[in-house]
Amino acid sequence: MARGTYQGTKHKAMSYTKFGYIFIAPFVIVYCLFSLYPLLTTFWYTGANMKSTTAEFWGFSDKEVYYDEYLDLTQYYDDIEASVGIPQQDYMKIRNFFSAQSAADQYEPLYAEGIQALINNGEISQATRDQLQQSLDNNDISYLSEDGYNELKTWKGGFTDLELTITGQLGSLNTKLTSIVSPESTGEEEETTDEITAEDILSSDSYAEFIATLEAGEFDEGQQLLINYLTEKSGADSLAAYFSDESVSVEDPMFYYICANLNSPKAKDAEGENIGSITVPFMTNLETYLMKNTWPTTISSLNSYSNLEGYSDGSIDLHSGEETLYADLETLESMGLLTNSVQLVADGETLVPESDVSTNVLYAMREFIDSNYQSDDVKIMSAMQISKLSSYLDTMGRAVLKGQGVEVDKYITFNGDFDVNKYNAFKTEIGLKDVLTMDKYEELDEGYKQMIVAAAQEVVAEYEPQLAPAEQALAAAEASGDEAAIKEANETLASVRNKISRAQADIKTPAGLLSKVNAKSEYIFVGFDNFANIFSNKVRRDTVFGSFVTTAVMWIIGFIPQVVLSLLLSAWFTDTKLHLKGLNLMKALMYLPNVITAVTVAIFFRKIFAYTSGGSVSASQIVLHFFGKEEGYNFFENPWATRLIVCFVNFWMWYGNTMIILIAGITSISTSLYESAQIDGANSVQTYFRITLPLLRPILLFLMVTSLIGGLQMYDIPMNINMNPALINFNGTMIKSTRTVLIYINQQAFGMQDAKQVGIAASVSIILFVVTTILSVCIFYLLRDKDAAKAAKEKKLARKAGAGR
Amino acid sequence: MSYNQRKLQSKSGSIAAYSAMVYIVVIFFSILAIIPFWYMFMNATWDSFNVSSRFILWPNFKNPGQLFTNWKNLQERATFSFAVGFKNSFIISISTTILSTYFSALTAYGLTIYQFKGRKTLFTLIIGVMMVPTAVNITGFYRLMLAMGLLGTKWPLILPAIAAPSTVFFIKQFLDSAFSLEIVEAARIDGAGEFFTFNRICLPLMIPAIATQGIFAFLGSWNNFFAPSILLNRTENKTLPLMVAQLYGDRFVDYGMIYLGLSASIVPVIIVYVFMQRFIIQGVAAGGVKE
Repeated sequence: MARGTYQGTKHKAMSYTKFGYIFIAPFVIVYCLFSLYPLLTTFWYTGANMKSTTAEFWGFSDKEVYYDEYLDLTQYYDDIEASVGIPQQDYMKIRNFFSAQSAADQYEPLYAEGIQALINNGEISQATRDQLQQSLDNNDISYLSEDGYNELKTWKGGFTDLELTITGQLGSLNTKLTSIVSPESTGEEEETTDEITAEDILSSDSYAEFIATLEAGEFDEGQQLLINYLTEKSGADSLAAYFSDESVSVEDPMFYYICANLNSPKAKDAEGENIGSITVPFMTNLETYLMKNTWPTTISSLNSYSNLEGYSDGSIDLHSGEETLYADLETLESMGLLTNSVQLVADGETLVPESDVSTNVLYAMREFIDSNYQSDDVKIMSAMQISKLSSYLDTMGRAVLKGQGVEVDKYITFNGDFDVNKYNAFKTEIGLKDVLTMDKYEELDEGYKQMIVAAAQEVVAEYEPQLAPAEQALAAAEASGDEAAIKEANETLASVRNKISRAQADIKTPAGLLSKVNAKSEYIFVGFDNFANIFSNKVRRDTVFGSFVTTAVMWIIGFIPQVVLSLLLSAWFTDTKLHLKGLNLMKALMYLPNVITAVTVAIFFRKIFAYTSGGSVSASQIVLHFFGKEEGYNFFENPWATRLIVCFVNFWMWYGNTMIILIAGITSISTSLYESAQIDGANSVQTYFRITLPLLRPILLFLMVTSLIGGLQMYDIPMNINMNPALINFNGTMIKSTRTVLIYINQQAFGMQDAKQVGIAASVSIILFVVTTILSVCIFYLLRDKDAAKAAKEKKLARKAGAGR
Repeated sequence: MSYNQRKLQSKSGSIAAYSAMVYIVVIFFSILAIIPFWYMFMNATWDSFNVSSRFILWPNFKNPGQLFTNWKNLQERATFSFAVGFKNSFIISISTTILSTYFSALTAYGLTIYQFKGRKTLFTLIIGVMMVPTAVNITGFYRLMLAMGLLGTKWPLILPAIAAPSTVFFIKQFLDSAFSLEIVEAARIDGAGEFFTFNRICLPLMIPAIATQGIFAFLGSWNNFFAPSILLNRTENKTLPLMVAQLYGDRFVDYGMIYLGLSASIVPVIIVYVFMQRFIIQGVAAGGVKE
């Protein structure tokens, strides 16, 4: 080191080293705090109980509001006024507010596209449409007047039964089927219960009992009609015979069809009375079994399944694929899954499906096809939106508050972000701001604790005197040697002891009122249960690994053409014989997409490929029309088309980047190699494959690993290109076709309101971390200074050799 | 002779044909790279009816006022405010750029100049964590920000920039190749303090590396979507990408307005790119070649 050469600095040089620590301190501190510590806590959260996450866990910062929302005092006090000091009527205002707010969250009354449909709807008066526009602009529904809302309802009242069935029933059918196919998408997470097998159902006592009931045949007239109808459908001699047949299979759609119709019949007898049900005792088990084993695959194989949502909200013209939809509805009917939409009526001695479009979605669909009814998406969309509006505007909570003269709409937030300030304004208006405070809650908590302690003390006082007699009784029983008496005495003693110890625990640490809601946010360590859950629960495993596979697939389909094209372009750009002009400009142009905000790019491509049958038409549809495909094509309805769009966008954003790196790599290859190749008479193709490509190998590897690591973080584009991607079958489970790992983590941790799963989100994060770490290690070895490593190795070898001698 | 001449002629002829083909392909891909932006900008000047009935690649000369109508419509949207988004993005990106370049330079300098114990290990660690994505610790990070009371503010997006491993790595590479310790020695002899030496003497010498890394830090922060989408929830705090993400809606949309919103969100990036593309492309090339 040069430092030593200066006079007198030798000892000073030592003191400089402390500046090294000072200079790197900010980096180290910030890294440890903002990266390392969160990473470690993420590890820690992998052990979090799946249900241990509530609003508070995720930062409901204002505790007072949190308690207002989640701690329903009426549950704990019979008389609020006496115990809390707030008139019941006033306190209920708070409860009503939150019920109205939750209706607003759930039904999104200001759903932009729906409101826009109403605004574009020429059948509604201009005044109302202006009010809606104002509501939308200001995100405040109170701009919509009572008269305006009534006009909307009257307009919807003019719908025919056919239209109502199409808008209503298809929608609820879609919700039902989606919850079967992908329970995780609707937030319903099944518990890991013991698997039920078909064998369990068929050999259970309740199954034998059911057959006995059928054989006994003690049914009323209506039920007999139903049984006759179902017997005829089953093709057996009698229902009892059908069920006791050795070859009967629970997976047979007929099996469930019969059970569902018996258990909850939607049928009327000759007098028009509803037919009573014949309880099927194993129904729950059967449904659980089918839900896990056959339904999801059957439903997801329906041709119209992925379109169902579009059909029900009007965004897809029902006339595209109407016969397919009808056929699928028939399949669902034969599986017994339409029981609630198909009414059976008596026709003489037999039951027949009622031919009424208002109750029978199958008939409505038939009617719709035959009558060549013109579906109008503005109309259907408007109808859907009016339902959403009424789901909020007609809620009990809102109506009560309105009746009390509270301008509730002013304080509700409609975009999903709860606004504490608005709520506090509401609380001030109803006069509870200074009454129901945090202090009040703590006071109540204290009072509740005292109540618990008092009750526990009573228990102790009651049971302690019983302890001695119970002990004596046990001793006496033991002396007599009577087994039964000993057992009984033991049980009595145990129960007395148990009661006392529980009461003593309550006295020691009484559970207050606030812990009723706080308990939910406590961290409960479950060890590796979350990982176990990811690997053992089939639906969970498929969705998690499906998202990894989706990510990898979308990465690789984008990466291969990107590298091939970049290799070609870089070869041309560095070819001295070609001597391309404008090289720098072209490089700059090709790199441009890489620096542009990915979200903008995604939204742009979303717009370009959007499918619309109504007013506005996207660029891709214009092109398709030009080439004679009048009906256009819905790219986002096809899972692979959606994936390919994502791949194309990735390819398009990254080929310039890859090309520039490859050009740099090629120019760094020593020209002497090429010169000697030329002297040896190699042509340019030979030179490329024998010299350039082998020498580019490390760079290609570097590109691949960095691109893969980047690709695993894919989020912006798939997230924004289509928020509700079509489903695709992965290993028997339907998963969202463009849901990448990060989207999955984000949804688990921050997505669903009440079913946030921090444990799963953290565990998947850690799996992702492990994968990227392995890849980073590869990069590390690539970036390592090879000569230095070699020198170090030689030195080591030399030392070893020296030691050997 | 004549044979050879013919051969030469045909060879040059085939080279001309070959290079023509190469030009066509290369120009095609150059155009492919920018045509979406062109389409976006052009359609921003048209009304929704024209955008959705024709494939337009030219500006609206017939009615230039449409651009302003679109802008007005865009301003009326409750969820999109260009001014607010731009301000937030700008504050976050500029702060991130300054913090990450200054502190990375400081760290890289500290690792290069001072022979303290464990610096090799530390540098190895920095390379090791360079590729670990920030996204994997988002659950923990969110909870930490919650505990620190920083949720919904800009700080969670700015402060972590102080520790930017890849920036440190690249500046260190620069220092190793193009920095002489003698400057530091000379400054010490002249009695300069260590911080003075760094801030006044060495930092200016690092400008080329800092500029390149600064541009990348700026663009990365400007384009960032994942973390802001989780950490910022109120409209007045949202960055431009978050605002843009709200420009969806496939039906009954005013296409002219949407394209104007998209265009507006990328104008700042394109301006930075036009002026800095030389540095950017050099930086990309330098990042890839590590042998």
